[in-house]
Amino acid sequence: MDILAFLAQGFAVALEPQHLLLALVGCAVGTLIGALPGLGPVNGVALMIPLTFNFGLTPTAALILLVSIYYGCMYGGRISSILLNIPGDEPAVMTTLDGYPMALKGRGGEALGLSGVASFVGATVATIGLTLFAPLLVGFAIRFGPAEYFALFVLAFATIGGVTSGSLVKSFLAACLGLLLGTVGIDSVSSVPRYTFGWYELYDGIDFIVALVGLFAISECLIFLEDTRGSNKPTLKVGSAIPGIRSAGKCAPTIGRSSFIGFVAGVLPGAGAALGSFLSYTLERRWLGRRGTFGQGDPRGVAAPEAGNNAAAGGALIPMLSLGIPGSGTTAILLALLLSMNITPGPLLFAQQPEMVWGLVAALFIGNVMLLVLNIPLVGLFAKVLQAPGWFLMPMVVMVAFVGVYSLGNSAFDLYMMLAFGVLGYVLRKLEMPAVPVVLGLLLGGQMEYNLRRAMSISGGDWSILWNSGITIGIYAFAIALIVAGLVYSWMIRQRL
Amino acid sequence: MSEPGLNPDQVSGAVADRIAGVVLLLMAVGAWWYSHAFPAGFGQVVGPGAFPRLVSVPMGLFAAYLVIRPGVNQRWPQRAALLRQGAALLLLGIYAGFLKPLGFLPASLICVVLLIRLFGATWRASLACGALLTVSLYLLFEFALGMPLPNMPGLDW
Repeated sequence: MDILAFLAQGFAVALEPQHLLLALVGCAVGTLIGALPGLGPVNGVALMIPLTFNFGLTPTAALILLVSIYYGCMYGGRISSILLNIPGDEPAVMTTLDGYPMALKGRGGEALGLSGVASFVGATVATIGLTLFAPLLVGFAIRFGPAEYFALFVLAFATIGGVTSGSLVKSFLAACLGLLLGTVGIDSVSSVPRYTFGWYELYDGIDFIVALVGLFAISECLIFLEDTRGSNKPTLKVGSAIPGIRSAGKCAPTIGRSSFIGFVAGVLPGAGAALGSFLSYTLERRWLGRRGTFGQGDPRGVAAPEAGNNAAAGGALIPMLSLGIPGSGTTAILLALLLSMNITPGPLLFAQQPEMVWGLVAALFIGNVMLLVLNIPLVGLFAKVLQAPGWFLMPMVVMVAFVGVYSLGNSAFDLYMMLAFGVLGYVLRKLEMPAVPVVLGLLLGGQMEYNLRRAMSISGGDWSILWNSGITIGIYAFAIALIVAGLVYSWMIRQRL
Repeated sequence: MSEPGLNPDQVSGAVADRIAGVVLLLMAVGAWWYSHAFPAGFGQVVGPGAFPRLVSVPMGLFAAYLVIRPGVNQRWPQRAALLRQGAALLLLGIYAGFLKPLGFLPASLICVVLLIRLFGATWRASLACGALLTVSLYLLFEFALGMPLPNMPGLDW
């Protein structure tokens, strides 16, 4: 089989000592970042991107490092959800529902062990899915021309955040804002400066890494400054994580079902991990009905969202790698990294750089095992991070952001830009307007415009080329279907209240 | 989750959403108007102004919708919080400007100590943790990760 041969090749890449070390470091750092209360995976990965740039790593190595951090963050996120009832990000919310009650009953260690195993199974199922399905999508996408790519970008913007976030209009607005900000700088086709207002610092455009760190890390600190009295909750006893393995055995059917649901949710563009954990939890609750004690510390209430959320995180890599469409906020940021290394994800990536793609897939398998090994015995150690006070953590985040961004171009202008985006990110958060579409717009705008202009020059100025092929119509129909599904979904949630 | 009504921290966005809508609407109109000033290159079917125009149309429409039908917001900060945030931004802005002329160590030391203080620690803790944080970051970035940071003027090693 082709896939097995490719995968063997991938393992050869991933098992190189440097890559193994990076995966280990990434998993450990990611778990730590994920465990920090309030600093979710998106913020964590955003913060690490400028640093990764400065290491001078090869793209493969950088990608392995960042994806390990990404997976590690997903693992670590459960620690603060279970022990402090503080979810680091949206998908972790569902874990608090039964995880925190379990911790209150003194079963914190068990909950952490169980969620560790559930995360492992979920992530592994997703990685197997990625191995099997991504090449299929690529075979389909190989026939894409510029008009089809343009449609794909429209799909990305129509769906990102639309399924899970509150207001569709606000996420569309955020996407438009990002696209518009993305046009700032010298136009690559005609060399005309656009919206630079005579500032030569803007001629290169807005660096989205600077924007990213500002939007996520700096705005997080501004949020934290609102209330510095700090609500240091009493730290709960963790206990041993070993009983969690046994209870994972009892939850095996739950973990299996949730991994599958999570994976499917992750593959859908724009849905991502939040939908994965939400669907797994609610369906499991419905499925088991009165046989469970959901909401009062049912182990299955911990296993379901954790398996679902990690499966979705892996599933989201499929559209990201094979089509260049991110399925979640964090994959949007990984996409940012790839594009800035001049790697364009998409069907060609699999054809041109198979060693990178398959090395990454193999690294995911290895990273999963590492995370499980790190997390079961060492969970008590990671839980120690929770005791670090916010007045120390947040200035540290600010400093890492400053050093990382400064070292990109040694310019104070970048730092001012980062602060400005920090304020923007803060205001967006207060407005309940998602920041991820802004980053995505900034990121994909250039490619989107390039494909539009190429399509138009092929057709000689006839706009109908944009919707003239079966594939483009299919993509637009899919986008509309997803938007409608998102509307129905939010309507259903409102009905339940 | 961000479903409306679920979160006790949410407030009506009637005022702030409208302001944001108006600002974004003005941006869209400005972008549209300004895009006509970009000279089209020779032989280009689609000039540099087309894409910004294409984006500014839906942006203007969504912004107008937001003005007409505002949604919910997170609770906006109180005066004391705003002051702290403003002070932090001012401090970081000054730090950004002084990073190069002063060098990483002195500029960061002053900034981090004040920042930790601003985040609510005591002076003693700020000084101790600030010094620790600055020095360990310096060692980490300069030596372990090999990222050059601006040195103090006159001190090159």
